[in-house]
Amino acid sequence: MNKKGKKIPYQTMRKIHGLVFVSPFLIGFVAFFLVPLVNTVYYSLNKVGVGDQGGMTFEWSGIQNYIDLFQTEVTTGSEPMMRLFTEENSTVLLSLPLIVIFSLFMALLANQNFKGRAIVRLLFFLPIILGLDVVMDMLTITTGSAEGLDSGSSLLAGSYVTIFLVRTLNVPMRVLYPIMNYVENIFELISQAGVQTLVYLTALQSISPSLYEVAKIEGATAYETFWKVTIPSIMNITFFVVVYTIVDLFLKSSIAEEAYSFAFTQGKIGVGSALSVVYIFNVILVLAIAALLLRKAVKKNEK
Amino acid sequence: MKNKKYTEVDASLALYLFQKKSKKRIVQFFTIVLILGLCFTIVYPIVGLVPTVLSAMEDLGNPNVIWIPEEFSTVSFKAAVRLVMPQGIWTMLGSILYSVGIMLLQLFFSAMVGYSLARVKFWGRGLVFGMVILVFLLPRQSLLLAQYISFVHFDVLGIMNLFTAAGEVNLINNPIVLVLLAVFGFGVSQSLFIFLFSQFFKNIPKELEEASLMDGCGFYRTYFRIMLPNAVPIISTVAILSFVWNYGDTYYTNYFNPDGNYMSTLLSSTFIQANKDTILRSLTTWYDVPSVTDMAFDAVKQAGVLVFLIPLLIVYLIGQRKLVENMENSGLVG
Repeated sequence: MNKKGKKIPYQTMRKIHGLVFVSPFLIGFVAFFLVPLVNTVYYSLNKVGVGDQGGMTFEWSGIQNYIDLFQTEVTTGSEPMMRLFTEENSTVLLSLPLIVIFSLFMALLANQNFKGRAIVRLLFFLPIILGLDVVMDMLTITTGSAEGLDSGSSLLAGSYVTIFLVRTLNVPMRVLYPIMNYVENIFELISQAGVQTLVYLTALQSISPSLYEVAKIEGATAYETFWKVTIPSIMNITFFVVVYTIVDLFLKSSIAEEAYSFAFTQGKIGVGSALSVVYIFNVILVLAIAALLLRKAVKKNEK
Repeated sequence: MKNKKYTEVDASLALYLFQKKSKKRIVQFFTIVLILGLCFTIVYPIVGLVPTVLSAMEDLGNPNVIWIPEEFSTVSFKAAVRLVMPQGIWTMLGSILYSVGIMLLQLFFSAMVGYSLARVKFWGRGLVFGMVILVFLLPRQSLLLAQYISFVHFDVLGIMNLFTAAGEVNLINNPIVLVLLAVFGFGVSQSLFIFLFSQFFKNIPKELEEASLMDGCGFYRTYFRIMLPNAVPIISTVAILSFVWNYGDTYYTNYFNPDGNYMSTLLSSTFIQANKDTILRSLTTWYDVPSVTDMAFDAVKQAGVLVFLIPLLIVYLIGQRKLVENMENSGLVG
């Protein structure tokens, strides 16, 4: 086959085939990612207007859009932009550890051997479906609430458990309210932990049973086994879970609506793009910090 | 024999064994309580809807009704179906068909890219892999504006000049956008799928591929005849996730095809607060309900969610066990 370079050598041919296989992604990367990314940065540095014959006009304005974004512009809920970012980031940072720990916890439970495990697993991964944004939005009660309680936005506020606690046991609302909020958050947390639980369960099942056997023979307690065997074995996958969770949490953000409203309702494409650029940096920053912190933990456990 | 031993051992050992056993029992008890509690928390939001959704409009808010409505009625369901499914069952079938179609495209193209990334050492492989990760990390919303504008003035290297006078076409509201995104690797969570596929293919034994090459299969034949059939576990995992996420997606459908009849977008756009009064009014006229409260709005909305969830639950019930089993072979771990 390989006579005097007349035919292309097999390995080269293989590389060409490989490139053919990834070419759809490469095209998509340029068309749907790279060009939009460059354009977003470009728009954000210009005053974008609509020309006489359709089309767009650009007028260089430096970082004016960014200054406007944080000084004069407000969100659709007429709040300052800074607030949107602080709220978003604090939600992500607060939910992140809870979701990661919670999914590990659920995976540990699902990994136990007991009767009816199949049913429990069936229910445990239900959040993959229930966690869809549409479903979550629709499940919250927006109007009407049981008498006596007027926290309108909650599912549990009107439940009979709460009513029972308030009416029969006379638990003061002041005490009950934070607990109720917490309980509600549990569902929210679980609803976002579906995929992560699945990943963790897989990781737990792939730990070699002989490791546990050795630990048992050496006389380690369950507590020690967990910290010395389980945790180091799943440290790598924790990295993936953390990154996935951060990305997933940022995906739920309302930034798209804000950018859309700037660009197409108010006609300020420049400001909307500036918002997008700031958002990209925001996400990268959070991911970088998380990655740095985690790498230390992963390394420590590998030793 | 065991009993005999018990009589021989001294009391302290018996006590120790008893303690150990009871400790184990207590731990077991708490585990079960925890599991039941978690299951309850997960299921409650859905099961808790049933009484609301099944009771008659007049009964809503009746403090005597907790679990079993005094009068069963399907008005909420009828109203929900009428509101979110303008073409009846065809709306749902259309949505399912759309999700399956996009799912197949995503599977086909992600598997190709994933295979190539895992098994072929082409030039710039590391770079392409980095691109996949980058796309996964950056939230899609940040590029929405530029993507939107590029679809409004859609033009590939001036090709559109050949077809239209303006030299560009407006693709917004054209479902082809969603197809394009899936084909070129930018559909719902597609970078994640590519990543999963490449992790899976990395773990398939090399000998399999070499044997097929020895037998004279070309690159494409090897891929379609040998590699793909061996990738069934990851294919089914991605298929389930892709179907669920596409069916439930409101982002791509809402921005790029807002007039399309997708169950998810119809659901989220129908039951917004601003529509409440209109919906309540139509309830009274359609079903001859004398008085409707705000609770009727919630009941109809939640009936809508339940209807929306039916296909997802069916897919989930069929595929869940496979999902867990297959993840083990996905190569994501280890």
